[in-house]
Amino acid sequence: MNYRLSGALALAAVLSVGGLMQGCSTSVKRVSTDEQIDLSGAWNDTDSRLVSQEMISDVLSRPWLSEFVSREGQQPAVIVGEVRNLSHEHINVNTFIGDMERELINSGKVEFVASSGERGEIRAERKDQELHAREDTRNPMGQELGADFMLKGTINTIIDTEGKQEVRYYQVDLTLIRLADNRKVWVGQKKIKKLVKHPGLRW
Amino acid sequence: MPSFVRLMRPVLLAASLAVGGCVSAQFQQDPLERAVIDRQPAQALTILEKQNHKDRNAALYHLNKAVLLRMEGEFKASNAELEAAKQISQQLEAVSLREQADAVTVNDAMRSYLPPPFERAMLHCLEILNYLQMDDVDGAHVEALQQDVFLNQHYEKNEPPFARYLNGLVFEADGELSDAMIAYRKAYQAYRAAGLPVPQQLQADLLRLTDYLELKDEHDKFEEQFKLKHWPTQAELDKQGEVIAVVLSGLIPRKHETSIMVQDPENGRLHRISIPFYETRKPQVENMKLVSLNNTSEGELFARLDRQAYANLEDAMPGIIARTVARVVVKNKLSDNMAERSQLLGAITNIAGFITEQADTRGWNTLPQDILVGRIALAPGNHDIHIELDNSAGNMVGSETKQQVALRPKQKRFFSWHWPASHVTSRNPSHETNSSTTIYYRHRID
Repeated sequence: MNYRLSGALALAAVLSVGGLMQGCSTSVKRVSTDEQIDLSGAWNDTDSRLVSQEMISDVLSRPWLSEFVSREGQQPAVIVGEVRNLSHEHINVNTFIGDMERELINSGKVEFVASSGERGEIRAERKDQELHAREDTRNPMGQELGADFMLKGTINTIIDTEGKQEVRYYQVDLTLIRLADNRKVWVGQKKIKKLVKHPGLRW
Repeated sequence: MPSFVRLMRPVLLAASLAVGGCVSAQFQQDPLERAVIDRQPAQALTILEKQNHKDRNAALYHLNKAVLLRMEGEFKASNAELEAAKQISQQLEAVSLREQADAVTVNDAMRSYLPPPFERAMLHCLEILNYLQMDDVDGAHVEALQQDVFLNQHYEKNEPPFARYLNGLVFEADGELSDAMIAYRKAYQAYRAAGLPVPQQLQADLLRLTDYLELKDEHDKFEEQFKLKHWPTQAELDKQGEVIAVVLSGLIPRKHETSIMVQDPENGRLHRISIPFYETRKPQVENMKLVSLNNTSEGELFARLDRQAYANLEDAMPGIIARTVARVVVKNKLSDNMAERSQLLGAITNIAGFITEQADTRGWNTLPQDILVGRIALAPGNHDIHIELDNSAGNMVGSETKQQVALRPKQKRFFSWHWPASHVTSRNPSHETNSSTTIYYRHRID
């Protein structure tokens, strides 16, 4: 009994020392920004990039675009409006909006208009130019490109947990609305489902 | 052998006195607590940063810092700390074999501090309040959904009612009235299950929303049960804005240690068993009032965190005692083993085991004891809002003012204040709020 107990205590001591040593080093490794790394199961850069790519690819392949071009004889001007985060996670919606803006602009199929926040800053700069810039270099007021369509959306989640397992279901809904008459010309939806298993034991 | 016992007795007695000194030292007021009570969060933050924080207490460090930062009005930074504590808590849910071994061989405080469910619910509540105070209803909404998952996962019964009520406020502020109704209903059920009075404000909310959502049977049941003469309809409330004030009053009681120390007359060995108990406290502010020109609204008590803390310790006590008994067995066997090799080693091991036997008295000590909530509906426009804080005798002990609060129809603006002034009413381990567990230790139990 005594030897068994001593052995158990020695094991506990070894475990303790091992634990102390384990926490001594930090390692850093550079990885590609396209590499898929899932650590916690939460919404991450991969989700943001994949969802924006797929949804923008979908919106640009639908008939509203060709109809607008044939009717107006020019590419439509699009603006990204509010994307509301109604999920269980504090998602940085700005990176998702940024990903969508990049996909839209790089497609070359639509004109892209600055957001309301960005417009305010640019207008202030133009106003400043009127006072301080040389006349031949000034950009006049009233020449902005008005958007024809606004892209809006929501991110929703359903979380189901049981013990150490968790199912995370994400649903991103985007709607393209024509500003002239509020008509919805495209509704897109992308779903992601993740099974997250939390560890029952740790060091 | 007897001569060795005689020789070791003074040494062991000195160890006993040293431990006694440690125990009495913990009753001295913590300078951080003094600074918090004096409402000096900057000073308290300085004290906190100077303290030595072990890795195993990382969650506590972030939780305490979060409270101090929000007392300073640094709501965004406070939420960053709460998020850090949340991540640590989630990681600590996995059982550590190493820490369990440490707990059975040294003491319970060797384990990483995993905040108990009532503290983790308060983590969500404070994060929600921070978002609301920053007028970020979407951020508060995310947190309310997380809190919903947390409560469903960690509470089969005795949910903290205020957490549910706060979720209802968030959903209402976001215009989701059916979700708000569900949260208010759960808050009502939690108050009833805990045997606590249902706040009149919650009664009015339930009557208003069951009426608006046409839940007739439920509305009739509440109307009969509450007997409220006046409650605003949803249509009336929609024409107005609303200011909601949350007062975090007092400081949650701290845990202390009570020990039983005995010396074996046969071999002179010292034995010690230590378990935690809660002091009792009384907050200075027990009532609140919201005043704006001719409009006045009385606040109400929505949460007593001390009761949740006592209940949590009561639930944890069987586990604490089981580990304590296991430690006694392990330490005695270890001393015996060492004594077989050398009497001196045996005595040193005994003293080490005796000194390291300490109760786990850690807790989120900057939490409030009581939470008071007041709501006042006002016409759209700008309003000066005064909040009066009263003691139990009805005398005003403090006041705060928010000037020119802009309100739109249906808009809800949230403000919260910490008023930590409170005093300890008892540090007796046998007072009625604590576990009545008694450990009989007359003979060796191994």
